[in-house]
Order: sequence, then C-alpha cells, then structure tokens
Amino acid sequence: MAEGDFIGIFIACGCVVGPWLLSLVATMIYQPRKRKVLLERESAAAVTGDALTTLSKPFGNREIREFRVMMANVVMSPSWVQMWIGGIMSIFGGQINVYTKVVDWARREAKQRLREQVSEAGFDEVINLRIETTMMTKTKGGKDRTSGVEILVYGTAIKY
Amino acid sequence: MQPAAVQNMIFSNIETIPGMTITQSLGVVSGSTVRAKNVFKDIGAAFKNIAGGEIKAYTELLQESRNEALFRMLQDATARGANAVVNVRFATSSVAGGAAELLAYGTAVIAQ
Repeated sequence: MAEGDFIGIFIACGCVVGPWLLSLVATMIYQPRKRKVLLERESAAAVTGDALTTLSKPFGNREIREFRVMMANVVMSPSWVQMWIGGIMSIFGGQINVYTKVVDWARREAKQRLREQVSEAGFDEVINLRIETTMMTKTKGGKDRTSGVEILVYGTAIKY
Repeated sequence: MQPAAVQNMIFSNIETIPGMTITQSLGVVSGSTVRAKNVFKDIGAAFKNIAGGEIKAYTELLQESRNEALFRMLQDATARGANAVVNVRFATSSVAGGAAELLAYGTAVIAQ
C-alpha cells in the first residue's frame, strides 16, 4: 500500500470519530464547570432559607402586601455524546443517567433563576410554584439536529 | 407598548387576589402563540450541541413568546370587562417539528 492510502484512511477515520471526540471533550470540560457555578449560586441563596414553596397560601396565613406573577425558564440540550449514549441506553431501558443529569440540571438552573429574580425585585417568598417541562423536538428529515428540554418555573412572588 | 387597560390588569396564579374580594367570575380566558425556531439561531444551537448545556437563543425566544401569550390572555380578559385574572397557568407543547405552542390561561374575574 502506498503512503497516500494510509493518510486517506486516517483522514476518513478522523472525520467519523473527530466530532464525537470533540463533543466528548467539550462535554467533560464545559458541563461540570457550569454545574459548579450553579452549585455556588445555590448555596449562596440557601443561607437565608428557600424562598420557593408550592403552598397556595403563605405559611401561617401572613398578610400579603404586594404580589406579582414571576417566571423563569431555561432551554437545556444534551450534547451529541450524551444523546448518543442515551440512544444506546434506551435499548436496554431503565434509568438513562445522562438524560436525568441534563433535565435535573435544567430544573435547578430555572429554580435558581427565579430565586434570584425574586430577591432582586425585593419580594420575600414565592407561593404556588409550578414547574412545566417540554421537550423541543427535532425537525423531521434530519436537517435540524438540535433537541432540548425547556423548563418553565413560575409562581406568585409575595411581599409581607 | 401595552394599552393602559391591559397594564392595569391584576393577575395571580393563586385562587384569590390578596387584599381583594372576587365578586363575579367571567369564565376562562386564554391566549396562545405558536413560534418556530429561527434558521440562523438554529445554526448556532447546532454548534452549542457539541458541548450541550443552555441554548440562550431559545430561552429568550420562549420568554418573549410567553409574554406575548400572557398579553393576549389579558386582552381577552379586558374584552370581557374583567379587572383581574386568577389561577393563571402556562402550558407549552411542541407542535410540528421545530415549532412550539405557548398557552396562558386563567379565570377572568371582577375583584373589588
């Protein structure tokens, strides 16, 4: 075999494996870093106790001076590698850890954003919190390769 | 710019309006909008998928659309002569690939 053939095979393999490898490395660097930042924000907010509740009335029937409906949303997407692993795992069924991680992360992020919004606007608490999850599907035909999950968190922010 | 009548609407997602009494119910009001993803934003999102994580363009798109749906719901309530909407709920569903429907609904009431 000529030397040129090896180079050709090498490039062909690189084209197939390269994007996956790139995605794997990018996932392993990018996502833990973002999660760490989120955890820091969460622990900073947790010092004064959680402002979010699903109760329909403030605890102890305290009087509400002011209220406003507030919402926060986030669209998260698994990476190529995560989608690929998820696809393989779904053959066997059971818990698909890679997807669990992404959806859980998105939900925490959305809740944290609401907490920050609420405290910035000077409200004390959020009552009647609701969480909505929507899958954003791929376009049929395979042209559009994106898919993601949208989490919406909303509730009534109140001031005592 | 929002008309004054809509801007003065009170809405909450609990069953009551704190500090007011509901005197009359005027039925269910709703507002919805269907938004499709932008082709140019999609290209950016496809690159974003390499590492995964948040797609900011979509987050903003859905935020805007949801405000639009909420605005339409309040317009509907204004047209019925209500001054408040209670128990507001949001729902999202993806219709036909790449497009999302955002719905806001609640009960229009007169509160004093």
